Amino acid sequence: MKTFSTDHPLASLLDPAGSPWSAVAATVVALDGTPLAMQPTAAVRNSWRDRPIGAVRSVEVRALQSADALAFHLRWADDAANRDHGDNTVFPDAAAIALPLHADAPLITMGAPGAPLTAWFWRADSGNQGFEVRAEGPGSTRITGRTVQANALWSDGVWQLVLARSLAGEGTADSIALASGQASRFGVAVWEGAHGERGGLKAFSGDWRELLLA
Amino acid sequence: MPGIKRQMAMVMDLNKCIGCQTCTVACKTLWTASEGMEHMFFNTVNTMPGEGTPRGWEAMGGGFPGGEAQLGKLPAIGEFGDAWKYNHEEVFYGGKGQDVHLGVQGEAPTWGPNWDEDQGGGEFPNSFFFYLPRLCNHCTHPACKEACPRGAIEKREADGVVVVNEDRCRGYRHCMEACPYKKIYFNHVSQVSQKCIFCFPRLEQGVAPACARQCPGRVRFVGYRDDQDAPIWKLVDKWKVALPLHPEFGTEPNVFYVPPSAPARFDADGRMDESKPRIPDEYLVSLFGERVLEALQTLAGERAKAARGERSELMDLLIAYRWQDMFGGFDRDPQTIKWVEA
Ligand code: SF4
Ligand code: SF4
Repeated sequence: MKTFSTDHPLASLLDPAGSPWSAVAATVVALDGTPLAMQPTAAVRNSWRDRPIGAVRSVEVRALQSADALAFHLRWADDAANRDHGDNTVFPDAAAIALPLHADAPLITMGAPGAPLTAWFWRADSGNQGFEVRAEGPGSTRITGRTVQANALWSDGVWQLVLARSLAGEGTADSIALASGQASRFGVAVWEGAHGERGGLKAFSGDWRELLLA
Repeated sequence: MPGIKRQMAMVMDLNKCIGCQTCTVACKTLWTASEGMEHMFFNTVNTMPGEGTPRGWEAMGGGFPGGEAQLGKLPAIGEFGDAWKYNHEEVFYGGKGQDVHLGVQGEAPTWGPNWDEDQGGGEFPNSFFFYLPRLCNHCTHPACKEACPRGAIEKREADGVVVVNEDRCRGYRHCMEACPYKKIYFNHVSQVSQKCIFCFPRLEQGVAPACARQCPGRVRFVGYRDDQDAPIWKLVDKWKVALPLHPEFGTEPNVFYVPPSAPARFDADGRMDESKPRIPDEYLVSLFGERVLEALQTLAGERAKAARGERSELMDLLIAYRWQDMFGGFDRDPQTIKWVEA
């Protein structure tokens, strides 16, 4: 996927229904459930054996790049918006864009020891607060930054979400530094809260895809 | 359990529990009075037979049925019994005199943490009930800890107390699904799972947990599981009269119960039939396993001994003449400590 450059300020990119996005061609990314064997605990593996993981099967991804920021736009079908922890029994919908922090970081296991990845993460109960997280394997995810901006909109059975951050990032090893002309890779994950998806139970893009910055 | 130096444990004598909920309130006041914790009771006391809290918890699954880890049901707040809202403000400060009365506001509740109090089971004149106080069992094989993909639950090395690391917890609630005793609550304000901590800040100062120290019934013994000079080991290992609840769940609890001895039944003519206990054996077996029958026999034998005026170590232990002796050395008076809020 190529990002497109835009003269629009970041503020206008943050509107998921905003006009800058309508001109951008979508990359349709097919999603699969995370493999059962990758679930880190026996209780989860045993209890999800006969239950499909990964309710959302595809997502449209777009990316726009302003002078100093990168914004991803995700669009996927979801009959009902789950915005909170629904009285214990359901979970908020969530989505993330993963980016490698190391050339050998495997996406399928959320990185590996010594080969971390980062993700720009949004959860429906966190408002416009997006999170930068870092992981080096299943269950190791931790929040490393809060400069990712998120804005989500649900209507007529469709979620639209913008995740944006400055290109330069926070200047730490946990925060990926991006620049014009750079070639990187990305992955996508979507959690369907009504289906009990959280943590390692999610739909994801399988392997890294190319990300070419304008 | 590997990595655990010693294990704290509790024994509760169900023959002495009067269902007063002092334990529940002691715990509530100390640990779950903050925002988001309104519906939480780390300690509960329910009437058995009964559905308890969360409603029907015994059938919600989780634990290790047949040795395999399983996730059970996620109980909703209403199944625990939400904190009911009252019109205190209006009644006490509203200036309306006798025109208003205290009552639950909003939708009428359909369950509570002690909804089926004193209902019990059996048919008159052989109806029966007893109280069952419950808290987290600080299991040797903690289903909650083993289910958490983030390693957010820790079993403390020094005392085996099972605690949630709220900095690691991301609110996935696999612990809540996995605990077959349904002793984990979810805080919707801080968005983390919360549970009984066996009052470990008190333990660290030599003070018994609040539920035990405040119990007016002298029901609760506390101490290290392996302390051969203290009541826990004597009741569990020497006399074998204290048993875990639902051992078939497979988590190896460290909370044990002295089962309730029942009076005899009435026969069809209204005469006492000493051959059968009022609480059916099958029911107690369903709660505490087959070994409960042996424990009841031991208790009956020792009680008869004491009734004959003979000395019984077991009866002396259970009577707990000196209540401080119930705490296996954790008998320091909390008033002698200057506590600071973190
Ligand atoms: S009772 Fe439940 S919450 Fe407590 S240690 Fe055992 S499995 Fe965990
Ligand atoms: S305080 Fe003691 S007697 Fe009262 S309900 Fe609790 S365990 Fe039973």
